[in-house]
Amino acid sequence: MKITVKLIGPFVQLFGFSEKILDVPEGTTADDLIGLVSIDKSRPKIVTRNGRAVVPGEALAEGDRVVISPIYSGG
Amino acid sequence: MNGWTGQFLRVNLTEKTFKKESFSEDFARKWIGGRGFAVKILYDELAPGIDPLGPDNKFIVALGPIAGIPAPNTGKAVVAGKSPSTGGYGDGNLGTRVAEQLRKAGYDALIVEGRASGPTMLYIDDDKVEFLPADEVWGKGTYETNDWIYAKYGKSVGVLNIGQAGENMVRYAVVRSLEGRAGGRTGMGAVMGSKLLKAVVVKGTKPIPQADPAGMKKVGYDDLREVNRIDKKTGWSIQSTNGVLAWCNEVAALPVRNFRKTHHPDAWKVDGERLNNARIATYGCPNCTMRCGITIHDDEGRESELDYENVGLLGPNLEIFDLAQLGSLNYLCDDYGIDTMSGGCVLSFYADAIDHGAVTGDYGFNDPEGSKRLLGEIARRDTEIGRVLAEGSMRAARKFGHDSIDYAMQVKGLEVAAYNCKFIPGMALAFGVSPIGAHHKESWVITFELKQSVRESYGPEKAQKVVELQRIRGGLFEYIVACRFPWIENGWSLENYPKYFKLVSGLDWTLDDFWTVSDRVYSMIKLFWLREYPQADRKMDYPPAVWFDPANADTEGPIAGRHLEYDKYDGLLQLYYDIRGYDRRGIPTKATLERLGTAEEGRAAEKFAKLT
Repeated sequence: MKITVKLIGPFVQLFGFSEKILDVPEGTTADDLIGLVSIDKSRPKIVTRNGRAVVPGEALAEGDRVVISPIYSGG
Repeated sequence: MNGWTGQFLRVNLTEKTFKKESFSEDFARKWIGGRGFAVKILYDELAPGIDPLGPDNKFIVALGPIAGIPAPNTGKAVVAGKSPSTGGYGDGNLGTRVAEQLRKAGYDALIVEGRASGPTMLYIDDDKVEFLPADEVWGKGTYETNDWIYAKYGKSVGVLNIGQAGENMVRYAVVRSLEGRAGGRTGMGAVMGSKLLKAVVVKGTKPIPQADPAGMKKVGYDDLREVNRIDKKTGWSIQSTNGVLAWCNEVAALPVRNFRKTHHPDAWKVDGERLNNARIATYGCPNCTMRCGITIHDDEGRESELDYENVGLLGPNLEIFDLAQLGSLNYLCDDYGIDTMSGGCVLSFYADAIDHGAVTGDYGFNDPEGSKRLLGEIARRDTEIGRVLAEGSMRAARKFGHDSIDYAMQVKGLEVAAYNCKFIPGMALAFGVSPIGAHHKESWVITFELKQSVRESYGPEKAQKVVELQRIRGGLFEYIVACRFPWIENGWSLENYPKYFKLVSGLDWTLDDFWTVSDRVYSMIKLFWLREYPQADRKMDYPPAVWFDPANADTEGPIAGRHLEYDKYDGLLQLYYDIRGYDRRGIPTKATLERLGTAEEGRAAEKFAKLT
């Protein structure tokens, strides 16, 4: 299934892309996706799926938009 | 008294006099500095009901015990007075060499009273104070004024100045410093202007009293290097504050079209990536090793320093998605000395009011040239609409009528910062209960709301988080006077601040000791507001009505059909009051004031309104 991954802030420069479409197997979770794009799992981050924060183990679906952002705290 | 100079400098512009005043160690420990000093002084010295733009108001520059000392992000000062935009307590902080220079001159705060007979520059050089004419730069922007001052005194002096907006008492005029810093969006630039005070210049040479100066120096420089190392690792300052724009757009929290929309397909054109790509230089405050000020060339080739708040509110909020164009609006705001946040909200409100037939005018969204023209008219107050908009969105809405107050994006008269809370209850609460009006510096809970809680919740966890963040952001960082970014953006431990405090003062405090001071300072701000608005109630702590309007709900995207709900918001507000020990009006109870050591100040307020 095709998932769009969008990185936010310094993740763009640190991990080398801003947005891309990944073809992943059915049953892939948001956690799996973080590993696929090589983001350090210990790094504090917030992951949203179609604009809503994901819960651990949440499975993704065809056409989802997953956004991975550092924890921002306001300007 | 280690940690403090123990002296205030009180200046009277009417009489052209000045005097040094000592304060006690008890006073220092109770109020610490910055916002704590400012609110206590203003509460004790201002008669309720005075005109904030009259000579009875006071303009205060207040510093904290670590301000100006090399350590992570201590190059900041608090500017304060009765706010022309809200009529309540007003302040703001800005990066400035004044933090170091005023402390070296021997003062922890400057109190400016009266009104000068002509445009004046106050020059402080250690024990010397001079009242110098500023006619040459009256009517000039902040950049030219800054250059004029640097040409006279060099670039190492501390400078605060105002532009035309401050001179003409635009109610949301800011104080400016260095080349890109601004503070006091509650109208502190207008307070300076009302006193004909064009600039304050400070030079100091004395040592700042410290318990362990050698230890502080070592720790301070080590920690500055460490903060820089961490920032390089996290990469935060690659996009700086504007990194959050793309995220706000993704989670439907971006202000678009006067907050009518929460996201826009063109938002990427002004996001952190584009800003970083367009970067020509980076600036920071004194004592900062994670500099956040990214400059670009605006559409006229001028250098304009952008961060998220001004991009959000002068860009998407006006439906302008061109970095060079919004850079130009930002440059003009900075040069006129207009707060970029309120400036953006006032313009978007005017466009929205025209859209909704509340008023007629030759202006609209996605109108960069019209926006530039209007900013000039506001700063100069030289047209009818310029004079109306110079009063801010709340007062303009009262003039326009037709329920336009519902979409004037402000709380208590101060415009909302760049987070669209159409369906973010906790952040809406944070704006509602911010003690200076709708500002984000006190508490920013959106990430918590989405990650540790759920967006729909109006539960106690959100009220508790707002209080927790207020104690840190609106408390500790505003009275110890340091920038919150090392902690909030790069995880610099809060435990470092008691450490610095001990090195300068010798006092061995815990963070819990500081939270008590934070609550004390907040209680004082509440009492200040109570004297000014004795009939006010909890409705003053409500965010703009349009966020509750079902007709304004998004029609697509992550929060389609969702909006704030009054009864639930009111319940959340009560949870907040309960945690704080406030009554149903949102006023600290007598027991709370007793616990915080402000019972005496509470008794003074009882002449105006009864405490429970």
